[in-house]
Amino acid sequence: MKEIIKITLNLMVVFIVSGVILSLVYANAKPKIERNEAIEKEKALKSLMPEASNIAVQGTYEPMEGKMAEYYVAKDKDGKVLGYIASSYSKGYSSIINLLVAVGTDMKIKAINILHQEETPGLGDDIGKQYFQDRFKGKALDQLEVVKLPDPNKIEAVSGATISSRAATKGVRTGVEFLIKKYQGVSQ
Amino acid sequence: MSAAGKTSYIGLLKNGIFGENPVFRVALSLCPSVAVTNSLKSGFLMGIGVFFVQTMANISVSFVRKFIHSRIRLPAYILIIGTWVTVANLLLEAYSYSLYKQIGLYLQLIVAFAIILSRAELFASKNKVVPSLFDGLGMGIGFLIALVVISFFRELIGKGALWDYQLVSTKPILLFVLPAGGFFAVGLLMGFFNWIDIRFFGGHGASGGGH
Repeated sequence: MKEIIKITLNLMVVFIVSGVILSLVYANAKPKIERNEAIEKEKALKSLMPEASNIAVQGTYEPMEGKMAEYYVAKDKDGKVLGYIASSYSKGYSSIINLLVAVGTDMKIKAINILHQEETPGLGDDIGKQYFQDRFKGKALDQLEVVKLPDPNKIEAVSGATISSRAATKGVRTGVEFLIKKYQGVSQ
Repeated sequence: MSAAGKTSYIGLLKNGIFGENPVFRVALSLCPSVAVTNSLKSGFLMGIGVFFVQTMANISVSFVRKFIHSRIRLPAYILIIGTWVTVANLLLEAYSYSLYKQIGLYLQLIVAFAIILSRAELFASKNKVVPSLFDGLGMGIGFLIALVVISFFRELIGKGALWDYQLVSTKPILLFVLPAGGFFAVGLLMGFFNWIDIRFFGGHGASGGGH
């Protein structure tokens, strides 16, 4: 009986001390973390449409079951629509990939940005690298198809990571399809 | 484990780096040694994370060693280790967000590393705070060096690159960055260090195996 009480007290003290340390660190770090995330998102949006002066959230849609994503309209300083950006999700090899895709008013891709992925380090996570993301530039919806050999009209997969490449492309396609449905013909 | 008998702090540091190097000598925490070492950068960053957690966990465990009842020591140690891992995670996310995005995923895995719990149980729970600090530093450095050596060869041979910098345009043996290649790299390096030990220092090679 005495032992039980000692054990209980032991664990309680350890839990409380851990809890105090964690909450102190958390209280200190949380605002900075949120700011980091906001800056990161801002930067990501800006880099997709460097010429836009105003990128505003329009609402959300559901690119993947249970995941809501935002979409944006980018305008220049005179209020003229330059293009659209959608956030999108897709299921990769070992993680859920979150990305942004920007299209011009012609619905061709201007740029993409993989915001978050936890694909196999050294292989699949190459989809986060610039050289792969650049392969999407200028592509239209029907060109979003993954192939294993270089092809200027298709998306060449990262070598050794076809599944991750397909997943990223699928996410991009979902985003572009949504933007087309939403905005094609509506612009100007 | 003979480490408990040694008193010199330099000796404790050396023990972690050479005598009982977590990966090459004691063969503990082989899972992360294979999983995160396919590029020099992630190997190095992971090593730093383990270094921090190992040192802090050793200090904390040594600090509470007389207070914790022996029957619940393991859950208590895991809780302590988990606390420091979370602290490292939060601090990194707050102060170096880009770094966090690269290794945040691996960092959380440190909780389950055999080497950290093993040092808490075998050393810190039986020794005073200062020796435990040096044991933690030694083991942390030893682990860091092991990861750097493994990931150096894997990235070089597997991708022809170092620290993400492409040295040759081809990937010499892609297998080396794949999980299977990790076993080859760790095994060959362990064999190499055993050979040095037996050939030049008259040792017996690495002992047991872990997970």
